[in-house]
Amino acid sequence: MADTTEVPPREEKIGLMARALSWFDSRLGLSYQLLRPAPQYSINPFYWLGALATVAFVIQAVTGGIMMLYYVPDPTQAYTTTQYIFRNVSYGTFLETIHLYTAYAMIMLAFMHLMRGYFVSVHKKPRELMWVTGMVMGFVTLGFGFTGYLLPWTIVSKSATDVGIGMMGALPQPMASFLTFLVVGSGSDAGELLRFYDLHVFVLPAVLLVLLVVKMYMLEAHGVSEPTSGLGSLSQKKRKLIPIFPDVSFYLVELAALFGSAVILVSVIFPLSLPPEYSAAIAGQYVSQPDWYFLWIYQILKVSAFEQAGLPVALTAVTLIFAALVILPFIDRGKVRNIRERIVYITLGAIFVAEVAVLAVWGYLTPGEAIPDETAALVLGGTALLVTLCSLVAYKLVFGGLRRLARGKSTNDGLASKPPMGATPASPRAAAAWIAGMFVGLLVAGAFFTGNSIADVVALGLGASTALPSLAISLTGLALVVVGTMFLIYRLDLATGSIRRRVRVFELGWKG
Amino acid sequence: MSERNTVVTERMSLRIVSLLLLVAAFSVFVLWSVNPVGSGSESTFALFLAVDLIAVAMISYIDRAVSREGRISRAALIAGCFFIGFLVVGALYLVG
Repeated sequence: MADTTEVPPREEKIGLMARALSWFDSRLGLSYQLLRPAPQYSINPFYWLGALATVAFVIQAVTGGIMMLYYVPDPTQAYTTTQYIFRNVSYGTFLETIHLYTAYAMIMLAFMHLMRGYFVSVHKKPRELMWVTGMVMGFVTLGFGFTGYLLPWTIVSKSATDVGIGMMGALPQPMASFLTFLVVGSGSDAGELLRFYDLHVFVLPAVLLVLLVVKMYMLEAHGVSEPTSGLGSLSQKKRKLIPIFPDVSFYLVELAALFGSAVILVSVIFPLSLPPEYSAAIAGQYVSQPDWYFLWIYQILKVSAFEQAGLPVALTAVTLIFAALVILPFIDRGKVRNIRERIVYITLGAIFVAEVAVLAVWGYLTPGEAIPDETAALVLGGTALLVTLCSLVAYKLVFGGLRRLARGKSTNDGLASKPPMGATPASPRAAAAWIAGMFVGLLVAGAFFTGNSIADVVALGLGASTALPSLAISLTGLALVVVGTMFLIYRLDLATGSIRRRVRVFELGWKG
Repeated sequence: MSERNTVVTERMSLRIVSLLLLVAAFSVFVLWSVNPVGSGSESTFALFLAVDLIAVAMISYIDRAVSREGRISRAALIAGCFFIGFLVVGALYLVG
């Protein structure tokens, strides 16, 4: 007979540390699940671009805080104290370089976060206010760049900032008056530098932190956005919820560490050097050029039509672009989030990204040069046309052809599609990745050769005969891109069986 | 995944993590001992800081991958080790 007497549980010996932890845990709720768990599919760098931008902000706060110990925001001492950091402070150049490059990374990550959000429709109900908050945070980030650029008081930074301040006057009212009052003040150099410093180290960080808390709160309320194709398209494993700590937190630690090491590596390869000090006497010898993130706006303003009297028109147009982005959730109110069904918005977004990139690179290559109207129309129009064509073809191939490939049957004629003889059946996902990669490559090459061809034609038109060999190479490259695109279309048709089906349909019709 | 394979992965991950901890400890030692005013010391400092960060990222990845999926991506490990090796060689070159 079995002994049924219950044995009282033996009291486990708990160490002092464990008891202390338990005491704090029961009072502070350390082990409680404070943050909403995230789905497994969010373990993807594209879901955490905003978090990486925050990491960049933290690195800037730390490096900037150290630099504040030495920097004096006065026109007579700003340059010398910056120079002191470079020359005399331990790892001073490294600090300055990291501070600048993380600022660049923060702006780039914020832009990528914005465009990724746009393409996957995170601005739709119920995340409209998250989008607006994120846009304001983006403006604050640009404000960091603008205000921080002046602080070293170099010839480059002061001249570029003066150009920027001059442009503020041409902005639509009351924005022009407000911004000019905010950054210029009495108009003296000392007042201007002090205002920029205060904005850079006190006002903007405080505003950003408040907005960050607001956005985190909304993220907690709504959670991570679903994939555009819906949760139904994901496996059970991908849909599973995982805790923020340790799973998501460890993943973010990995991303942050990789990001940090990448920035460090870049700063070692391209260390910063301090340009000469600003002096009104030599300011005229330098071509004023804003930093790269404002170059696209600067390039628009260099178009002949927008000079002098046309400046307010151009700045109003740029302001309208930003305003449209802010109120996007209230313009694009449809429920459809699937990229496949949003060809217009996706194409518009792609055109915007391409135009910004083209204008920035163009601005970098042509400092201080006025852009003739016809050249601007050719390049900007050509870019928009090329992106539109590529978008249409990509939609046709990726969402038209591959859908049939995934289903394994025809959607329009009922004839089964089989892979060609000898072909290894590829998974739809692998095929989609391959085609997308090929198209991105062709798009980049096509944009490059088209831009080059247009520039060479313009140069030839202006009488530069040396552009002829370059034009020949560009046209050859363009022809290769066209042939490559046609080959890709042919291969895809071969894989999906469209050509064979069409021939079969034609034969049936002819016999009938 | 079979239990035997999981055990093998866990054992292997333990060895790799031990090695990474050694690398991280060595790089921290270098960070503290490098002469802050010497020529090229900034780059050496920066590169060993990057080594430390990569080691931390790899340890975190291994822990997450083993506890969640029971396996580690060989490609990720090789890439990480290659990157660490590249940074260490670069830093030693600067010191030399």
